[in-house]
Amino acid sequence: MAYLIQPDYVQYFCTCGQIKPITNLYFCRHCLKVRCGFCICHEVDSHYCANCLENMPSSEARLKKNRCSSCFDCPSCFHTLSTRATYAPARQDPAAGDAKVENKQPKKMYYLSCFNCRWTSRDVGIPDQPVASGGWPERTNPFANRFGQLLEYFKAIAQQEKQDKLDKERKKYAIRGKYITLTDKTGLTGAMARTTAGLPSSESSSSAIANFVPSQAKEEVEELPEDYHTKEVNLKLITTMPQRLASPEWQAQLVSRLQPIARPLSVKRSQRCRRCDHNLTKPEYNPGSIKFKIELLAYYHVPEVKIISFETIKPGCTTELLLKLTNPTAHEMQISIIQPDEVPEVEEKEEPKSIEKSLEKSLNLEKDTSWRQVIERKPLLPTTIKLHKPELSFTLAQRDDAAEYDDDSHHETNDIILWRKSNKLALRLKVTTDEEAKVGSPAVAILALQYSYRNTVPPTANSPQTRDHVLYTTVAIHLGTVTQ
Amino acid sequence: MELQDTYYNKSEYVETASGNKVSRQTVLCGSQNIVLHGKVIVQSDAIIRGDLANVKTGRFCIISKGSVLRPPFKKFSKGVAFFPLQMGDHVFVGENTVVNAAVVGSYVYIGKNVVIGRRCVLKDCCMIEDNSVLPAETVVPSFARYSGSPARLITTLPEATPDLMTEFTKSYYQHFLPTASV
Repeated sequence: MAYLIQPDYVQYFCTCGQIKPITNLYFCRHCLKVRCGFCICHEVDSHYCANCLENMPSSEARLKKNRCSSCFDCPSCFHTLSTRATYAPARQDPAAGDAKVENKQPKKMYYLSCFNCRWTSRDVGIPDQPVASGGWPERTNPFANRFGQLLEYFKAIAQQEKQDKLDKERKKYAIRGKYITLTDKTGLTGAMARTTAGLPSSESSSSAIANFVPSQAKEEVEELPEDYHTKEVNLKLITTMPQRLASPEWQAQLVSRLQPIARPLSVKRSQRCRRCDHNLTKPEYNPGSIKFKIELLAYYHVPEVKIISFETIKPGCTTELLLKLTNPTAHEMQISIIQPDEVPEVEEKEEPKSIEKSLEKSLNLEKDTSWRQVIERKPLLPTTIKLHKPELSFTLAQRDDAAEYDDDSHHETNDIILWRKSNKLALRLKVTTDEEAKVGSPAVAILALQYSYRNTVPPTANSPQTRDHVLYTTVAIHLGTVTQ
Repeated sequence: MELQDTYYNKSEYVETASGNKVSRQTVLCGSQNIVLHGKVIVQSDAIIRGDLANVKTGRFCIISKGSVLRPPFKKFSKGVAFFPLQMGDHVFVGENTVVNAAVVGSYVYIGKNVVIGRRCVLKDCCMIEDNSVLPAETVVPSFARYSGSPARLITTLPEATPDLMTEFTKSYYQHFLPTASV
């Protein structure tokens, strides 16, 4: 948690060259590479409302425009509105006799109220509702019809273009004539591809294009009222920019026209490695749950480096640096500290094209695969601070939750290893700062760790894997600024 | 950065059999209604209003100096009623913070000078930053980081937050040591 409330003193290098704290990194145990939020694929797992924690399937969410149907946000301060109950005074109905009214129980009525800015749905004249949730009047956009037409038109155009492209491709293959493509053989036609893509059939699309009437600019525009520039403006009655932009369809100009905003849904995300398509994280479906089905975080697989203490960095001086190393895995780890330029370059081989992919190609449904490419590069390393490499490689015991109750710190210690406690140890390192280091510049020491890693992925028939690997990780340690 | 040791005066704190460390300079009203589930630190000048309703905390909670835990009330047509305040494990409450929530989940970090309004629900694994005000009846979802007045979602928390929070509260407890002398 110290990571969340402190500046990032220790940062790790992602495979893509980003420098991030270990909590923001993932570890793909199939590629055995560190990945960060920029070089993985984010997917929407499920939609839910953050207020009522109601789950919503994605089709329903799309239908409801990704908004919750029972929760509302305040249009004035954007806090969540609460439902309040009142007893409505028995209405004086002129048609009914007085005696009848007296017999009636006072009816419970509900209205929406904001506990932050005290806005209520009564302020803008929304009638109270007899039911606690739902039933609030839904507004339809005055241009809803036109929007529908536009949407239909552009969908039709997109589809026609796709169809044209498909036809062209098919022709190209037909000219070659040497072999039958899978589409011809199986009778998988464009119509079928359309249905799989969820698009309407071509007949309706052509009619939508034909019937479409483009908008036309009007010659005459209504003039501004005479007193537009002279009338005094009461800012209390006019909505602010954020308030207008919160409901872009209406953009009410007066405070009295503000309406409750249906609360936007939140999503649970799962992450996927772009190179090997394996899931890196997968949350549990239940919105209230904080558990994960798959959770391949760097925090659980890469040795963690923490600063215990450091001395002020002065140009040309050698100072001590105390680090704490933690082995988060369930296996023993052999660690040695090396210079960052000793990390060997690893070239990733282009994976062989699978049958699946060539099949896709023959179906002319070739996907854009550029997103699959993972850029790998090494960032520029500042070299003002040099680390004295300890001639030592050490073993770090596996993580053991029961070990915290044991009280044995009687391990062999020496000049470099200060203490050991189950899966943790403290290191004393020496760093030398360059003579020419500028005073006031940030002091960053870079070190690399070589560590053994046991792969726990069960080996499959077509990919026999070695269990033990030697991996490298590079760490940037921020030691304040260089001082005189 | 490792947490630094925090020292306390041994005579000031009472340590119970389950490892709770409670300062003598606190106001614990209605102590029969207060349950601290073990290894909880309640620092000086904290106020826990057990006289209003039950207050329950989980293990490894830290109630910092000058903070107030106060069960929330709800107005009904016939007077008011107080609701119990429940707190999960590994919760940190910062200095001078007022907590009026109905439920505080596990692995929650509440900064200093924060006001948590009446009947708020803080789900597991969330964070309220320093100097925020959470209006009444707010629901803070999991993995959310709230800030500001009124507090709004600003970003999400990393997936490893439960483990980070566990480590933080445990190491806070381990580094909360009595001064050697006196």
